[in-house]
Amino acid sequence: MMLKWVVRSQSVLLFGTGLVFPFYIVFLSESGASFSEFGLAYGLFTVSAALVHHWVGRYSDLFGRKIFLLVSAWGNAIVYLVFPVVQEMLAVYIIQVVLGILGALQKTSEKALVADFTDGSNRGVLIGRYHFWISLWSGAAVMVSGFLIDLLTLSVIFYLGSFICFLSGVLTLFIQEEKELGS
Amino acid sequence: MSLKTRWKILLAISIYGVLVSLSILFHQQSDDLLVHDVSRLFPDHVNEIVEGNEIESFQNAIHDANENDLAVSIGGARHSQGGHSYYEDSVFLDMTSYNDIVSIEPDEKLITVESGATWADVQEAVNPYGLSVKVMQSSNVFTIGGSLSSNVHGRDPRYGSIIETVHSFRLLQFDGTIVDVTPEEHPSLFQSVIGGFGLFGVILDVTLELQDNEIYLATTESIDLDEYPEYIRKHVMDQGDVGLHFARLSASPDDLLEDMYFTTYHVVDESESDYPTKEELDDLTPLQEEEHVLRDKFAFGLSRKFDWAKTAVWDLQQKLYGENDEDEWITRNNAMRPPIEFLEYDSSRNTDILQEYFVPVDHFPTFVGDLREIVRKEDLNLLNATVRYMPKSTDATMSYAKEDMLAIVIYVNHSMSDKGIEHMEQATQQMVDAALDLGGTYYLTYQLYPTKEQLKEAYPNFDEFLRLKEQFDPNKRFMNNFYEEYES
Repeated sequence: MMLKWVVRSQSVLLFGTGLVFPFYIVFLSESGASFSEFGLAYGLFTVSAALVHHWVGRYSDLFGRKIFLLVSAWGNAIVYLVFPVVQEMLAVYIIQVVLGILGALQKTSEKALVADFTDGSNRGVLIGRYHFWISLWSGAAVMVSGFLIDLLTLSVIFYLGSFICFLSGVLTLFIQEEKELGS
Repeated sequence: MSLKTRWKILLAISIYGVLVSLSILFHQQSDDLLVHDVSRLFPDHVNEIVEGNEIESFQNAIHDANENDLAVSIGGARHSQGGHSYYEDSVFLDMTSYNDIVSIEPDEKLITVESGATWADVQEAVNPYGLSVKVMQSSNVFTIGGSLSSNVHGRDPRYGSIIETVHSFRLLQFDGTIVDVTPEEHPSLFQSVIGGFGLFGVILDVTLELQDNEIYLATTESIDLDEYPEYIRKHVMDQGDVGLHFARLSASPDDLLEDMYFTTYHVVDESESDYPTKEELDDLTPLQEEEHVLRDKFAFGLSRKFDWAKTAVWDLQQKLYGENDEDEWITRNNAMRPPIEFLEYDSSRNTDILQEYFVPVDHFPTFVGDLREIVRKEDLNLLNATVRYMPKSTDATMSYAKEDMLAIVIYVNHSMSDKGIEHMEQATQQMVDAALDLGGTYYLTYQLYPTKEQLKEAYPNFDEFLRLKEQFDPNKRFMNNFYEEYES
């Protein structure tokens, strides 16, 4: 049952991103961002994701989904390492665009892969179970993260998040795509 | 797991390891040149940080700054809270390593120390000689250079601000020359460097007057706010036997700035019957270290967040200070090193700031009433309020005690967001106005929130101060944020 590794790798990924995302607004406020800058930063994230979803879908049909999940996980791991060093708002915007693209790689490939590994009869059950685990980890991450930031510093969260995303990439390597590509 | 996958994982781990190291390295470097004070508001990037325990390193730094037309800023413990100790793109002289005790002359009761030494260093050096500092802040973490630059005052009602206890100092000037400054030989420099926030040069070493390490008995009593000025006049002002005195006002919302108690340390003379015996003295003399840091930090942390905790802390303080000190001897040196470590706080979202207002003794109840109103109306998170008596002290160009004053120190927690800062700024201006209206002043060592008009009203010599700055540092080599904010 190869869905197992998808659940594992993606739960870990969402745990890593969940550590960073909700609190990253605090990071922005520390660099002195105004509300319009927040808006622009978050908007760029979503818009850049929107622009690549199509492309990801098409190419994941051709090259497989796994490579995209891997790029997304390790890409996040690297980008989080850049955060503690960033000082300019422009750099934050660029990072947001990159994170948007990485997020799109993950979302479309993940959904396609879950679909690949399931079929009509019990698809609903499996997708439900898949989302249960993913959401649980993501929610846990937010709570753990808040607690950790109170005790530690914000930079530590970025490093921890990065490490966990890296781990997710390693787990992704264990996914074996069974379906014929390009069909 | 296939061999290929194993190699992939190994390669990925190696690359990732390198990236993590790089990130941490850059992270540390980027932080290294970011200088801020204890409040962590308004940090600045400096061009270079110069540390050292040799005068030459500071001379060279100033020489280079002159060559490259860079500003020079000077920092010690960095407890001033308005960017007085640093400046954007400047060469920042971190004086904390320049901290040797140069000499002690027990007969003359003088000590010469390098400016980066802290009061704790001085206390350790003079305690074995049975000597003690005359004027210093309530805590001993500050450097001597910084204390002179802020012309600090203490809790001993027999002395004014620190300038009255400075014998002489050496100053490294903008052109690299060193001048011996005494009140007789260079009066304008003496009066401006002290209280001059590092704008006239680098204070190198300082000779300070000392006094005997007296034995005190403390009394703590609660007092009605309105009766406090009379108590000061009768029992504190011009009383040779009062060594230290301070009071606390309640920060508990139930009786905000209403409940009050004071502690007075009376000198026990050797001729008195209750003077400790030789053995008892041996027990009393060693310097005490701060205890219960974690407990106090936790309690204070709670009181930042919850009103019930403010009340609980107030009750606890009354109990601790009120009951324990009674009828217990304490040496002056030990009484002058009360705890501060528990106040260290490093949240990234809010900060604790200090402010201090001086009002003529008789106007104290009115000012506290005004303060209460502002704190309530502006919903300020007041954590602590203490009071000290500050006798008239007008030696420094920028003197804050134009007559006998009561000094009210408030400790406020506020948000570091733009909005939080703006709010605190306008609340501060209201409090400054309240002090000015009563013939009072405010302390310059904190945030730059007061307006220039307010500054000039509180410090009528400010124009003279600016003129002297131009005279002694014509190229404005020594810069800080305070000067930039108010010079024009």
